Amino acid sequence: MIWTGLLVGLLFGFALQRGRFCMNSAFRDIILMKDYTVFKAVAAAILIEMFGFALMGMTGMITLNPKPLLLGANIIGSFVFGIGMVVAGGCASGITYRTGEGMVGAMSAVLGFSVILLSTGGGLLSPIAKGLQEGSKIMTPDGKSLTVANVLGLPLEITMLVLSIVIAAVWIYFAMRNPEESYDTGKASLSDKIFKRGWSWLLAGVVIGLIGIISFPLSAATGRNYPLGISSGWAAILKSIVSDTVTIKWDAMLIIGIVIGAAVAALIAKEFKLRAPAPGVLIQTFIGGMLMGFGASTSTGCNVGHILSGVPMLSIGSIVAGISIVLGAWVAVYFFFIRTGKA
Amino acid sequence: MENVEVTKTLDVRGEICPYPDVNTMTTLKQMKKGEILEVLLDYPMSVERIPRGAKKHGHKVLAVEQVEGPNHRILIEAFGLK
Repeated sequence: MIWTGLLVGLLFGFALQRGRFCMNSAFRDIILMKDYTVFKAVAAAILIEMFGFALMGMTGMITLNPKPLLLGANIIGSFVFGIGMVVAGGCASGITYRTGEGMVGAMSAVLGFSVILLSTGGGLLSPIAKGLQEGSKIMTPDGKSLTVANVLGLPLEITMLVLSIVIAAVWIYFAMRNPEESYDTGKASLSDKIFKRGWSWLLAGVVIGLIGIISFPLSAATGRNYPLGISSGWAAILKSIVSDTVTIKWDAMLIIGIVIGAAVAALIAKEFKLRAPAPGVLIQTFIGGMLMGFGASTSTGCNVGHILSGVPMLSIGSIVAGISIVLGAWVAVYFFFIRTGKA
Repeated sequence: MENVEVTKTLDVRGEICPYPDVNTMTTLKQMKKGEILEVLLDYPMSVERIPRGAKKHGHKVLAVEQVEGPNHRILIEAFGLK
């Protein structure tokens, strides 16, 4: 049933491309441009997933599987990942969907990302990652992953359900008091809004949240009990290409789907074209991808595995990783753009 | 918008995120009030984000046109921060 990975990937890639959903932009734009648009899309997706995962967990459709806290690995790995995504010009999902858009800079980042993912996962760099992971694993006394819920002594599903409703209610309350200025330029038909124009942050967040929800039981049915993730799929694809072990499973099918789905979305919107930056920038995105690969493998997840999938399950490890990714990105933005006076 | 006299053209086609935006904003900062900046770009995200950011900084967005495929042309009248 690994073909369901392809199906979810097609939807995810389509939504990523139409929604311009990239966490590098989401976090970077906050300090670089004082623009919260993409960040709001990410937050909306997380809340919807939190609610959906909680309901599915309660009804027994899925068994929640928050990632364990690997304190040192989560902090250092994800910080490096955050720096890397600014250098690469996109997060793990961003460089994946832009590969489908025909952006050669993103393809170069994907290559660096995949190679170093393999190297950190089981090659030359693996002792560093393993050292950071093993030395800093913190679990509950009965051997479970730390979550916001079990730290407070609460049941996980109920905490997720209540928290998602409360945060959504507070958000809607403040959003209604301060309606945002619309920069929409003219009317468009419904099909144009879906297929031709970039989606609003709300539509992007809701659709990606729903895709995250359906991904969980479908992936679990193939033995991979986790929702969306990017890094393991790219590592599996490269491994299958260069070694005699073919490891195309649900996660790799997801990646193939994302690239095709994004390409289809870009073709329909007439946004597809093979285009490349200057050679120096290609090297820059390759190096950025390498940093992302080291970071994601060390921290056991990229921005999707931790922020989009782990944070909704209230995993402390994913929350720490998420904060580190944001801080890494901000430090990189400071050194590359703000301090140099480029912005 | 063919009758607008373009003061300066910025070609950021092929550039990766966020250089189209950053280069546009820094160029606008250096322009005098009423001068027109033409931005040529092929990065879809920036096609939506640049008009948003330009308006926020007081500049006037005159046109956003899809030229061919992902190639877009944005015309912005500088607010004159200098």
